[in-house]
Amino acid sequence: MTATLLQPTHGPKRAFLVALQTLCVLAGTAAAGTTAAPTSAPVDAATLARHIDQAIDKRLDAEHIKPSPLADDAEFLRRVYLDITGVIPPANAAAAFLDSKDPNKRAKLIDELLASSAYGRHLADIWKSYLLPRTSDNRQLQAEPLMRWLEENFNNNTPWNQFVSELITASGTQDKNGAVTYFLANPTADKVTDSVSRLFLGVQLQCAQCHNHPFTKWKQTEYWGMAAFFTKVKTDRPRQAARQGDSPGVSENAKGRAAKLPETAKVVPAKFLLSEEPKLDKSAPYRPVLAKWLTSAENPFFARAMANRLWAHYFGRGIVDPVDDMHDGNPPSHPELLQELAGQFAAHDFDVKFLIRAICNSKTYQRTSKPTSKDDSGANLFAHMTIKVNSPEQLYDSLVAVVGAPGNQAARPRQGANQNPNRAAPNARTVFVNFFQNEDGSDPTQYQAGIPQALRLMNSPQLTGGGVVLEQALKTLHTPAQIIERLYLATLSRRPTAAESHHLLTFVHGHAADPRKAYRDVLWALLNSSEFAVNH
Amino acid sequence: MTNSDASGIRSRRDFFKLSTAGLLTTSLSGWLGVLAAHAASNGSKHKACILLWMDGGPSHKDTFDMKPNTENGGDFKPIPTSVSGIQISEHFPKLAKQMQHAAILRGMSTGEGAHGRAKYYLHTGYKEGQGGLVYPSIGSIVSAELGRPDSPTPNFVSVGNRSYGAGFLGARHQPLVVNDPAKGVQNLKPLVDNHEFGDRIGLLEQMEQGFFRTYQATSINDHRTTYQRAVQLMRSKEAKAFDLSLEPAASKEAYGNSKFGEGCLLARRLVEVGIPFVEVTLGGWDTHQNNFERVKQLSGQVDPAMSALIHDLKSRGLLDSTLIVWMGEFGRTPKINSRGPKPGRDHYPRAWSTVLAGGGIRGGQVIGKTDKEGAAVEDRPVSAIDFMATICKVLGIDYTKQNNTPIGRPIRIAEKGATPVKELFA
Repeated sequence: MTATLLQPTHGPKRAFLVALQTLCVLAGTAAAGTTAAPTSAPVDAATLARHIDQAIDKRLDAEHIKPSPLADDAEFLRRVYLDITGVIPPANAAAAFLDSKDPNKRAKLIDELLASSAYGRHLADIWKSYLLPRTSDNRQLQAEPLMRWLEENFNNNTPWNQFVSELITASGTQDKNGAVTYFLANPTADKVTDSVSRLFLGVQLQCAQCHNHPFTKWKQTEYWGMAAFFTKVKTDRPRQAARQGDSPGVSENAKGRAAKLPETAKVVPAKFLLSEEPKLDKSAPYRPVLAKWLTSAENPFFARAMANRLWAHYFGRGIVDPVDDMHDGNPPSHPELLQELAGQFAAHDFDVKFLIRAICNSKTYQRTSKPTSKDDSGANLFAHMTIKVNSPEQLYDSLVAVVGAPGNQAARPRQGANQNPNRAAPNARTVFVNFFQNEDGSDPTQYQAGIPQALRLMNSPQLTGGGVVLEQALKTLHTPAQIIERLYLATLSRRPTAAESHHLLTFVHGHAADPRKAYRDVLWALLNSSEFAVNH
Repeated sequence: MTNSDASGIRSRRDFFKLSTAGLLTTSLSGWLGVLAAHAASNGSKHKACILLWMDGGPSHKDTFDMKPNTENGGDFKPIPTSVSGIQISEHFPKLAKQMQHAAILRGMSTGEGAHGRAKYYLHTGYKEGQGGLVYPSIGSIVSAELGRPDSPTPNFVSVGNRSYGAGFLGARHQPLVVNDPAKGVQNLKPLVDNHEFGDRIGLLEQMEQGFFRTYQATSINDHRTTYQRAVQLMRSKEAKAFDLSLEPAASKEAYGNSKFGEGCLLARRLVEVGIPFVEVTLGGWDTHQNNFERVKQLSGQVDPAMSALIHDLKSRGLLDSTLIVWMGEFGRTPKINSRGPKPGRDHYPRAWSTVLAGGGIRGGQVIGKTDKEGAAVEDRPVSAIDFMATICKVLGIDYTKQNNTPIGRPIRIAEKGATPVKELFA
């Protein structure tokens, strides 16, 4: 690749190659691979969006794949609401967007949704599941403090380097610093090393815990070199703390053990991944040293990992996929694009909303999910949007938006409502989410629910058809056509097609004696449909 | 050693596309018809497993590895069984008459003494968090290896408790949880009358056809398929297997009038309709306090239920093809603790007992031996991974087979080095 061309150190060849390299930099491309992102001048979101489209289209052209056209307004509306806020739009907001003649309405909607508090809550739901593994021990752990911390920081758009730094150096009790929940949930050096590597470096180190990785660079020493930074961390056991009436806490104590390799008793000095061994002050905490390296612009992993992960959130697959498995044997589909996204993310001081704004304003994001070819060869090259199955949280929140919350329970537990603050309080949303929960790290484009979930959606009393939207529609609307339209707008974020209208109005007229029953049946079908269950 | 992509994302998606290409032209009712035909024609020849999970870790010295006339032998006396030379607790009189079908493994030695980690270890054969993966439990493995993919019911049912799930094998192999055997599967009955439900399904099918025709994604098809299977289950005869009210009162009495007894009865009914794995949980064995009263009470539930199960399976010709496993996550301390007002025993994974019955094993034997105190295995130790390999071998599953995780890591069903207990096989 480019690196090997630059080997001559003198003479006309070198001059030529230096000029070539300069030309490449000016043209906005950069060398692929795991070298650190060169400091780039920041561009605005609209420009970055155009660069995304150029990079994607270039590869599609090269492979002679025709991209799909843009999504229609209804597809875009529903998609961007679900992707940014985690819930479908209310019927009136849907109608207003569809009917608006403003040529900039899509960009404005993106801005509006990024500014809403639902944005932070949605990302908090997602990151909570990344940060807190579902183990038997963690059932004793209260997740709410972490949720609040995440939501606040996402809504404040805390720069990602600061966000991660605060998270991985968190100390104190859970009631004062929700971020410590991360360490309470990953209470040993190996667990937190696995997590930090996957989430913030984009690499799967955990195989190297016990043996050198068969085909990547990860040796056992790399693993334990990273784990060494966490060996002074002391975590309380949530159940014990609860028995004493305390909030569990996390601290770094002065004396720690150095991380050892499992078979041999060799002490491993702390070492940044594929990088140098820093000099550690034995009397000072270690985690801030790691945090400084981890979140710096010089760290080749950090910006890339988040840029790739954000991309995957919106597109259903990363530029490197799986998103936490970046290594030479798993190259990016668009290496220059990923380099640029990482570079711009760093240049904008790790501004998460900036990157999302750029992604969502791209044509690539706004393409329909209908494929253009039968064999769908463009699927992995972003020729069209992928269809993502709604998460349990998205499903619950969307159902509640249509039928209303079950009983008198709030969607989230009230603060201080628990007798035992350390014990996770089950509420209707938590129960539902647990019932529908997929495995950690599962592919969002795969439908994972089983028969029990389908039975619950079909036959549970809360979902038997009816609820707040229908009741409201029956009170305020006059014709069957209006009511059917309202049901569609409230559930599928679109108006019914002529054929759908015709079919459903025939159905309603066939139930002239009890039209309410017919509407409940229509609503039931809408809520159980694939279109409701997925984000297309 | 064979590789199988049990949950390989990209390749499974491609495979599914190819295999359903021919079926896309079938109308929805035609597809339903195909599934129904499969259900009718199936004469399943696979084996089945009923796991009786004794949650909390049953004391081995007070159940199947009695040490009479020793200082810490405890309150119970041993009784003879139908097999000369084998004695078990006096609180299993019915089971004692079925000993010719059972093998007691007294050499279990597994190392994990904490509940959470031990339960995980014994269910999956892997230590929790090992290598950063979530491993499938034995129920999900059996569902994946022996279950019919087009079965109208899930192939792994857990009665009484959530159990351990499918891990990286994916959602198709998650257990169907039946919390209360008397209540059966939740939400199996529509809340509207059959006519209206038919209307609703008709409306839904219309929407599904239209959406799939336009968007063509596998996830949409999977959604449709799951719903079709759910409706199929609602209308199937297999659903009736979940309905204990259809069972005559006399058989319920034979199993003992306990939730656990009902769970075992349900397990028999499910195995009869072809479900290859049912786990029935009986909790309360964590007898740090009041060991003897509680073990007596729990034994009193196990005895009629497990022996009725063996008896019923035998009379239906299903015993040879159904393996019953009685086990917890560890045993209990040879020494009796006198910390509380009533004596108890604490966790003990170093030496403990499990019982296997049916499944075509060589019954009527004891495999392994512990010392005088029941503290150390003197002969024929069996590790957790050996145990996993053993169950697989009895059921006809290749325990060396590798399944792929979503990122393509091959993981053996039983960890390398696992050796089945050969004494069980003829």
